[in-house]
Amino acid sequence: MSSSPPLLEVQGLSRRFPGVLALDHVDFDVFPGEVHALVGENGAGKSTLINMLAGVIQPSGGTIKLDGQAVRFANPSSAQHAGISVIFQEFNLLPQLSVAENIFINREPKRGPIIDWPTMYRRASDVLDMLKIEIDPRAVVQSLSVAQQQLVEIARALSFKAKVIVMDEPTAALNDREVDRLLEIVRSLADGGVGVIYVSHRLAEVLTVADRISVLRDGRHVLTAARRELDEPKIVSAMVGRELLHVACPPRTPGELRLVVRDLSVEDYVKDVSFELHGGEVLGLAGLMGSGSTDVVEALFGLRSMQAAEIKLNGEALAIDGPRSAIRSSLGYVPEDRKRSGILPDLSVKHNISMGIVERLRQVVWVNEREDQKLAEQYQSRLNIRCRSVNQYISGLSGGNQQKVVLARALAGNSQVLLLAEPTRGVDVGAKAEIYHLIDELVAQGMAVLMQTSELPELIRLANRCLVFADGKPQGELAKDDLNQERVMALATRFDVKGKAA
Amino acid sequence: MSTLRRLWQTIWESYRVGLFVIAVAIVLTLLTPRFMQAENLMNVLTNASVTAIVGLGMTLAIASGNFDLSVGSIAAFAGSISMSLVPSIGIAGGVAAGLLTGAIVGLINGLIITELRVPAFIATLGMLTIVRGLTLIYTSGHDIYLYGQTGYKILSAGAMPLVLALVLAALLGFVVKYTRFGRHVLAVGSNSAAATRSGVRTSRVLWGVFAIVGTTAALSGMIISAQVLTANGRLATGLELSAIAVAVIGGTPLSGGKATMIGTLLGALLVSTINNGLNLLNVQIFFQELTTGVLLLIAVAFSIRRGYHPRALLRRQA
Repeated sequence: MSSSPPLLEVQGLSRRFPGVLALDHVDFDVFPGEVHALVGENGAGKSTLINMLAGVIQPSGGTIKLDGQAVRFANPSSAQHAGISVIFQEFNLLPQLSVAENIFINREPKRGPIIDWPTMYRRASDVLDMLKIEIDPRAVVQSLSVAQQQLVEIARALSFKAKVIVMDEPTAALNDREVDRLLEIVRSLADGGVGVIYVSHRLAEVLTVADRISVLRDGRHVLTAARRELDEPKIVSAMVGRELLHVACPPRTPGELRLVVRDLSVEDYVKDVSFELHGGEVLGLAGLMGSGSTDVVEALFGLRSMQAAEIKLNGEALAIDGPRSAIRSSLGYVPEDRKRSGILPDLSVKHNISMGIVERLRQVVWVNEREDQKLAEQYQSRLNIRCRSVNQYISGLSGGNQQKVVLARALAGNSQVLLLAEPTRGVDVGAKAEIYHLIDELVAQGMAVLMQTSELPELIRLANRCLVFADGKPQGELAKDDLNQERVMALATRFDVKGKAA
Repeated sequence: MSTLRRLWQTIWESYRVGLFVIAVAIVLTLLTPRFMQAENLMNVLTNASVTAIVGLGMTLAIASGNFDLSVGSIAAFAGSISMSLVPSIGIAGGVAAGLLTGAIVGLINGLIITELRVPAFIATLGMLTIVRGLTLIYTSGHDIYLYGQTGYKILSAGAMPLVLALVLAALLGFVVKYTRFGRHVLAVGSNSAAATRSGVRTSRVLWGVFAIVGTTAALSGMIISAQVLTANGRLATGLELSAIAVAVIGGTPLSGGKATMIGTLLGALLVSTINNGLNLLNVQIFFQELTTGVLLLIAVAFSIRRGYHPRALLRRQA
């Protein structure tokens, strides 16, 4: 591996956007048969680098060499034909078409003007077999799971005879077993002589699969080293430029009783949910996908039809018939999918924050812009939201900062209870640490937090006790001392005999 | 250099349509002396205003992530009802009845969309033919004339259409930018699921939006009726497409979440100026049918290319 010349070599690559140097003289290379991981916080320059390799944007300076030859990609298809395939986080699949059609889109084998279906299916299954993927090439893509769609993307990349495959956060939406499977495939791709550039936030994976690891920070290259020389803390401190402080859950001191829920059921699936939530504590709701933990949070915010023997906030009965009444009852909510149901992409940071409480800023009929601005700036500094101005579009912010804006919106209604669903999904390490820190602060000031998360380390880091769901029912409550990954998984995989195993 | 370029870019992005209008006007002035005559210019402005008024309502609908195909039918229905009532309840009463008709039909559109969960495209397409049918039934297929009630012409006479368009643009522009309702409209258009989760009652917002679109359609319809003092079931056919076109040409993206009322005014002015020019240059009337469509395609092609440009992600300022 070290004897052969690099497949891809990037030297002094820079990219300037108006007002920002997104990438600043970065060197990077990948050898045949190697998995080279690229890590860094959002905004570190990873996407800019990938987009230049993919031909989506052009460098402002520096060179890209493929097989020793300097190359310039005017557009994505020229990069693809040169042998660089990029699998973006957002899939480029056409959901209504079959697997085979997606793999060979635009390159369908033809007999005359007519698509040669048998050949296409055969060649598709050849590619899939090579990857040991068991997917029917005739299956329609939208009927596949996210993990399977990911594999179809990989098959497509491979079918281009790619020399270099770039994967951007390939495991963001996969469960543990699917991740293992994907990592095996990544490994076998490299063993077949392909150079893989693997971009991920999940350092455990990176440390499993990568031969070498490079870290970018603020558009600059800060570190490249072989895997055996690195461990998680070293990578994290290179990424954020400082050591991350306490990884243990700080002591929580539950105060007065805030929320009481008795015999809650949601849409005939979730049943028998009862709990009490005090100010100054974080109650975790854990469970595998479909276990019902998410439904509870959504129901309490008025997004699902529910029934309960009793729901009380501060001793008073609470009637919630929709998000608006939930907000008015001082419940704040952070939805699990920021992009789909969290941000208002065409609106400014300011308007995103105040959307739920605009009427409180009203002056006669119009909105008091000065109050609005003040409120937004207050949250900007309190949550350390990094943006040029609160009048900037939210879509221009990094994922972590977008998430902070969504959190600000949840707080803006003077919330007494925060309902969090996957509070740090798709957020980079640095922003994650900040959000944890923020939640700690809020809780220390007396906030009551109900948090659903599928990330066990997050659960253990934040929650001082936890309800574990499986099959629509709480299977047990774990106090802080019993809160560890094994205990949670043991409860989360406890199914009834009919067993809806994931 | 780069400051100049950025300045130019800002001007271009905000006033693109306006620059086009000026360019077309200059060309027409050079080509024919009749263009710059006061009477002709008034004509251009009046025609622009009629489309602009319904276009302004449409802009709001587009900003909410929807559009309304029934505006042409609403215009005809409201025009007919208004005119037929003038002899009995007077001009002010007739105009109020017309506006109310538009608001009610619009509200029904909104209810069909939110309560029956029919997509706006289908709902308003259905209402396009239903309301057109109702108009034909109401008028028994005949023309409604207003003999001797020339006072109704107040709606179309002189600078009235222009004044109405300007006032409406200012009003809706204010609503979008400075009121809770306006913010809610943009939120629904930007991401309906996120809007709901922010506490926006999306159904109510859409009822309001469609009621407003209906009202603006009614106003346009009554102005058109007033111009000829006639209303009938065939009035304002195809108005829905002109209304969508002027909004999009003016720079309101079909993807929702954004609105520019000034853009819509300028879009209407551009279409009307070009059509007027073709008229003055004695271009066969059939060619005029082409212009709106061609402009629409150019405008959309422009906005899409802009939308996908990576630089668009770095745009500042709300």
